[in-house]
Amino acid sequence: MRPATLQVRPRLVTKLTSGCPTLDRHLAGGFPFGSITEISGESGVGKTQFCLQLALLTQLPPSLGGLSSSSLFLHSEFPFPSRRLHQIAQSFLAVHRDVFSSHPSYNPLDCVFVHPLHTADHLLDEMPRIESFIESSRASRLPVRLIVIDSIAALFRSEFDNTPFDLKRRSSIFFKISGWLKSLAVKFDLAVIVTNQVVDLVGPSGGANGLRIGNLGCLNSSGRRVSPALGLSWANCVNSRIFLSREEELLVDQATGPVHRSNGETSVHGARAIRRLHVIFSPHLPYSSCEFMIAREGIRGIER
Amino acid sequence: MEVGRLPISAAQKGKLISAGYTTLSSISSLSPTLLSRDLNISETDALEIIKHASLGGTMDDCSSSRAIIGAQTAWDVLHEEESATRITTSSVDLDHILGGGISCCEVTEIGKITALTSLIQLAVNVQIPVHCGGLGGKAIYIDTEGSFMVERVLQIAQACAVEMSTSYASSHNSLPPSHILMQPEDILENIIYFRVCSYTEQIALVNYLDKFISEHREVKLVIIDSITFHFRQDFDDLALRTRLLGGMALKLMKLAKKFVLAVVLLNQVTTKYTEGSFQLSLALGDSWSHACTNRIILYWNCDERYAYIDKSPSLRSTSAPYAVTSSGIRNSVSKCQQILRTQAT
Repeated sequence: MRPATLQVRPRLVTKLTSGCPTLDRHLAGGFPFGSITEISGESGVGKTQFCLQLALLTQLPPSLGGLSSSSLFLHSEFPFPSRRLHQIAQSFLAVHRDVFSSHPSYNPLDCVFVHPLHTADHLLDEMPRIESFIESSRASRLPVRLIVIDSIAALFRSEFDNTPFDLKRRSSIFFKISGWLKSLAVKFDLAVIVTNQVVDLVGPSGGANGLRIGNLGCLNSSGRRVSPALGLSWANCVNSRIFLSREEELLVDQATGPVHRSNGETSVHGARAIRRLHVIFSPHLPYSSCEFMIAREGIRGIER
Repeated sequence: MEVGRLPISAAQKGKLISAGYTTLSSISSLSPTLLSRDLNISETDALEIIKHASLGGTMDDCSSSRAIIGAQTAWDVLHEEESATRITTSSVDLDHILGGGISCCEVTEIGKITALTSLIQLAVNVQIPVHCGGLGGKAIYIDTEGSFMVERVLQIAQACAVEMSTSYASSHNSLPPSHILMQPEDILENIIYFRVCSYTEQIALVNYLDKFISEHREVKLVIIDSITFHFRQDFDDLALRTRLLGGMALKLMKLAKKFVLAVVLLNQVTTKYTEGSFQLSLALGDSWSHACTNRIILYWNCDERYAYIDKSPSLRSTSAPYAVTSSGIRNSVSKCQQILRTQAT
């Protein structure tokens, strides 16, 4: 076993761009390689779309923040949103047409490998096959250098009871999966993105079990106090945690202002969702947050 | 023959040699009963011989009452402890509750989910040259989780280098000469990084450290981030896990003593199921909690970070606030101080 000298290691860890300069600034360049980044948030906040976008962006050359690589998309929430992926891929191609002009037959969807996962045991069974697939892809033009698991929570939330025995078995599987992903990340120098669902927090404030994880005292989304699912042991398994939140903002008519009707209700012209991205914990990032929106071409940060 | 040097009667020397005892070390490790039986002498005589043998056969047997080679008096230990150097944490409050910093010769465990900044801060601070009040050593960083980020090390190293040169300039009223200045690049070079991907690798590396450090004597700090991660994956045989961890803890303690270096381990926080309720505790179980000399737990209180000394043979159990800034660990500036400061400016 030989030590690595930090002088030889690249000064900046290679990172996968998030596809938007504003978000990249909050993430110090994007998602780092060699470690696991978790994106958590309630349903409909944009986790899956974020992952689809990353699966395409990784095909860009390094000069544009990508890795000239293909991606492996393991999905456990059905069905796989192939229509949305196609839509994002269209705008992706339109924006980066000149990059791929040398490959006229190039189709970005060819470089996203999709594989379903049904249970945690299914993932454990598939591990050796996935590893040999990544190994064999190294010879191709675009080797796999991004693994997305969307979502890790869906694998675990149905099958396990809330008994000490099951919880113990569950957390030992967490560590097994995480250890395997991390060893892949080192061996093949790839980025790992996992998404996670949230659970509602009931009871006294101060996070799950009264322990505060990360920079924020409590996380709020849609007016509820939530926490990323799978508990404390999974929080120990990821290197960085990013939280996406959503709040409804009522749109009020600009010209007339709020009109109070006789029954006391305020007239509104619909609601707009304000989405924010928060860095909960990360070895190299301080806490920061930024507003983002979901456009046709994917997720974009909003400069304030 | 070594026994010839012992200040005992010729008859006893003869008995020793005929019984096969020729070296002093072979005698000093014996019990008086055994020796008296072997030589057919009284136990008091045997004890006398052992005493002389332990003193290395020197004639001088005045005050010292050491019966075993390598034993020290408590007075000597106290002196050694007082002169032992400590690695500063860069936060005055933390140094205060730690009695000056992380102690060399000891194994310290830190409990937290992610504590990269504090670990890197130690790896950088151990290199502060002796003339600036540091140790001027090197650090070994064993990464089991993949959370190590070179860009963060560089940030902290740059801040540390700037602070060292300004403190030199203010104390000497001149700019420091270039040869004693530490560049951030030098600081990076003095951190020896190992990435470990399984528990077998981790055990192998800990076993190899003894050889590695004896070739690199400058190493004054060994960090394992984290000791826990690989040992929480599918270990069905928990008795085996306890034995492996116990063996590793002993080796690390031996290293700390032998090479006078600090060992800092990161442990994860978990919940413990007792009598129907879940309680917070550090991972790896009860037997592991005996393994480390010191245990520090980092936690949040309102919007401030705190460090709490959970276990230590010499320090009081107290807590102190600290802050994580872009340049590393610093003193916490509490809210009221911040307000005062903004008012003053």
